[in-house]
Amino acid sequence: MSDAQAAGKQVVPLAVALEKLSRLEQENKLAEADDLANRMLEAMPKHPHILHLAGIIAYRNGRIAQAVERMETAQALAPDVALYPRNMCEVYRGAGQLDDALRAGRRAVELAPNEARAHFNLALIHYERLELDEAVRVAERAIELDPEFAEAHFEKAEAQLLAGRMKDGWESYEWRFRLKQAEGMLPKTDKPQWDGAPLPPGRLLIIGDQGFGDCIQFSRLIPWVASLCPQPVLACSGELTPILRQIPGVGRMVTRWEDTGDYDVYIPLSGLPRLAGIDTDNVPPAGYLTPDPALVEQWGARLNRLLPEGKKRIGLVWAGRPTHKNDKKRTLKLAQFAPLFARDDVVIVTVQKGEQIAQVGDYYAHAPLINLGPEIGDFLDTMAILKNIDHLVTIDTSVVHLAGAIGVSASLVLPYAPDWRWLLGREDSPWYPSVRLYRQDKPYDWSGVIERVAAAL
Amino acid sequence: MAEQAWPLQDHTVLLDDQAAAATKYFNEKKYAEAEALALKILDLAPNQRMALRVLYEVRKAQNQVPAALALARRLAALPGGAPQRAAAHAQLAHYLVGLGRHAEALPAAAAALKATPRDATAQHVMGVVLTETGDFLAGERHYRQALARLGREDGLVLANLAWNLKQQGRLAEAKTLYDQALALRGDNPRGIGGAAQVAFARGERARAEALLDDALRRWPEDRPLRLLRALADLAQDRAQAVLDRLSPVERLIAPEFLARGQAQDRLGQLREAVTSFATARRIQRERAGLTYQPAPLTARAAAYQSYFTADRVQPLPRAAAGPFTPVFLLGFARAGTGLLEQLLAQVPGFAVGDAAGSFEGLADAVPRLAASEHPYPEALDDLLVGDNQQLPEQLRQMYEEQRARLGLLRPYIRFITDRAVGNAWHLGLINLLYPEAPIIHVLRHPYDLMLANIAQDRKLEGNAHAGLPALAHYYGLHAEMIRHYRGQLTLRYLPVRYEDLVADPAAVLAEILAFIGGTAPVPAAEILRANAGPLPEPQPAHFIFREPVHTRAAGRYRAYLAAMPQLFAEVQAELAPWIERLGYTVEEARA
Repeated sequence: MSDAQAAGKQVVPLAVALEKLSRLEQENKLAEADDLANRMLEAMPKHPHILHLAGIIAYRNGRIAQAVERMETAQALAPDVALYPRNMCEVYRGAGQLDDALRAGRRAVELAPNEARAHFNLALIHYERLELDEAVRVAERAIELDPEFAEAHFEKAEAQLLAGRMKDGWESYEWRFRLKQAEGMLPKTDKPQWDGAPLPPGRLLIIGDQGFGDCIQFSRLIPWVASLCPQPVLACSGELTPILRQIPGVGRMVTRWEDTGDYDVYIPLSGLPRLAGIDTDNVPPAGYLTPDPALVEQWGARLNRLLPEGKKRIGLVWAGRPTHKNDKKRTLKLAQFAPLFARDDVVIVTVQKGEQIAQVGDYYAHAPLINLGPEIGDFLDTMAILKNIDHLVTIDTSVVHLAGAIGVSASLVLPYAPDWRWLLGREDSPWYPSVRLYRQDKPYDWSGVIERVAAAL
Repeated sequence: MAEQAWPLQDHTVLLDDQAAAATKYFNEKKYAEAEALALKILDLAPNQRMALRVLYEVRKAQNQVPAALALARRLAALPGGAPQRAAAHAQLAHYLVGLGRHAEALPAAAAALKATPRDATAQHVMGVVLTETGDFLAGERHYRQALARLGREDGLVLANLAWNLKQQGRLAEAKTLYDQALALRGDNPRGIGGAAQVAFARGERARAEALLDDALRRWPEDRPLRLLRALADLAQDRAQAVLDRLSPVERLIAPEFLARGQAQDRLGQLREAVTSFATARRIQRERAGLTYQPAPLTARAAAYQSYFTADRVQPLPRAAAGPFTPVFLLGFARAGTGLLEQLLAQVPGFAVGDAAGSFEGLADAVPRLAASEHPYPEALDDLLVGDNQQLPEQLRQMYEEQRARLGLLRPYIRFITDRAVGNAWHLGLINLLYPEAPIIHVLRHPYDLMLANIAQDRKLEGNAHAGLPALAHYYGLHAEMIRHYRGQLTLRYLPVRYEDLVADPAAVLAEILAFIGGTAPVPAAEILRANAGPLPEPQPAHFIFREPVHTRAAGRYRAYLAAMPQLFAEVQAELAPWIERLGYTVEEARA
């Protein structure tokens, strides 16, 4: 009888334990995985694969420094295992260590030159470093190895679009519906996608896919669609119906697949720019949404009562939806807007929604601040409030699309490698002329950005 | 039915002669004999009223508080005729009042009053209890009914009524009543003390001191009078005189140690001051059993924070604007809301409401008015249903009626301050009744707040004044409550700092007026600094302490830290996060 058995412990073969650890991580049972990883590390502290998996689990649990330490040890113990640098590439990216990420990504490709995922991970790092040609080239190599690799196609699309190569980008962008996270975005149907040809009234189904911001951004193309296919049915989430109803040409609006009725073809909203041949120089103008005048008056009166006179009203959004894949990159803490709060001539009106409004409880800076988020019911409220402020300062979230769509002046703070729609190296946006862009100078580093926003007010 | 629960009662009369003998022993001060006989009788008949009464008096004389109180409660629970029950309840209420446990005395005082509503004493006791628990208007009514029942002027009742009016800030009426009371009955040292405080509040400081000096000549051993005299010295910066009066230290009680500590602080004797404060708190803990009771506070905080979330509160109905704008002055005890209220009182259009507004009472009324099965705050969910949607309006009117009864709704008044201590708990309800009322939060360095509170003889919720760790924990609860509400509600909130207020009162007032939309000019800086301008009555009780604005208490902790680097060691972990959040630092101690 071994010592473990003598102590009443169950003895499990290592391979079984490793398989279980991996499964727990994949099933998102992170606390259980953490516990098992720690016990396995206690028994075998120098086993590279335990260390590697334990690193991934630490990363998933938000302990990034520990993840890096564990995974670096694993790699030092087994320098020729391609999986390790491949995964480390992503962990380094999460840690904001892009040089290390690049090194790990290249090492992974070197060790496994025929593995598509290694190339894909490296492409992601190139995107983050704004090495867009390299990102496209490496993503294409991943696609060569695995032509059905949807994520690589999508990564290529994002790099092409960010670089302003819109025509190529739109084509690759079509792969977005084959991504795992796109499941359920489109109806289960054997009907074809619309090809841009005219149709009788009511025979086209438009689908508000992607996030709220995307829908607001692309809805400007609905009048063009309606000129070819009158009264298209628009399927979108209930939050969007009050504002998208305003777009000229929209037919029936539905919020459930079973209500769409019969149709001949469908098209996602995000597929319209490709069909319409949108490039940076032919974007249909903003101003296609209009706040409800009664609500504008109502919120105006309320703000007049709540806010001191004689100060610039600055709207503020500092955090996005935490489940967004790039939220960590785009979201700030309220306190990081300190240079804005130090101005004597402003009053802050937060239009932030969600759990992050709790940060207002820690606000003690110079400028008066009104936490309006708790009273905002829907996008109509948000638009009416935006009409009653002097300027919006925001991260990349749906509110900037609303401001842009109704022509409200806004400062948008962007990460070093932003979402493709904000393009590169410019302070303006062809999509929203009223929005001015403020970009990070270095990846993951907001220093200087808010100072520039505050100084320009 | 009640009689059946006391089968021995009828037989106890057989022991009446023995009980009368025990009473006689007691009256002859033969306490041992009285006690022995009473215990013997109670062995035979545990509910023999006279024997219980004798034993109660013996225990009271022996200062055995828990035993005396248990006996008083037993007596009050005995059945009997209305006069007997009233007397027993009145006795219990008196005893609790004497112990300073006024809130506990309320049910007994009410029972006595209900049993004998025509009895002047019952009305008087009710007046005392209500006045000392802060319900001044109701207290005044009972005092006046006591006078009416008596059918004559009575020196004691008049003096107590005068004290009530003084607490309401009706100083002129209080003075007149004190004059009458003391003319009728001059042998009332408490009355003279009250009259001196009214004189002091009216700016007649020399007269106040003369009243106290005369009284001390008559009653040289009267400690409350001596303490008042010492506090008068302290208020006029005669710190050494305070130390001279309050000595020798071996015989001092807690409030005297606290006054000594404050005097030592003024004289720069910081180590000695800390020793005095610590001694006072130790005496309170050891002799009076003062202990911090955080459990009800933390439970309340958890319940309110769980209920008042943005999503849950947003759909609830709100009241429309009323005839005036309340300005809620929020802050931890000794943060400076009193000073801010004194300064705002000098701005045209402001009336000062002090702590008289009662959101606590309104919150208590919600379940009843909404006919809810749930306690507050869950009962607020019922505001969504039917006629209850009008309830915020009704509650707002109730609040306004409180203000109107105090005479605050004068025609030219736009703003009425409210600095009730419970407002930090009730920002949720305030938001429903006054969604656009300004909330001015006076911040002050947490270490300075610890010092100010440990030095003052003021009660705090849950006995949080019991010591520094208790104070720090209570501070954290209070701050977290405000933090929570700010993060979940749309509040018209402006933080100002005590340190800025004392450095430049005019600038802070200008900032506040700009924030709340006040159009009146800010008084000149020198007028604000003097903080002595004439004001209409009623004036809040804390206006008695009006003094020129000074900066000596801002950042006071630095000198203490220089003298005693470990002074805040036991509360550092609790306070450090708040110091940082509020934008304060702990500056290097310089000796």
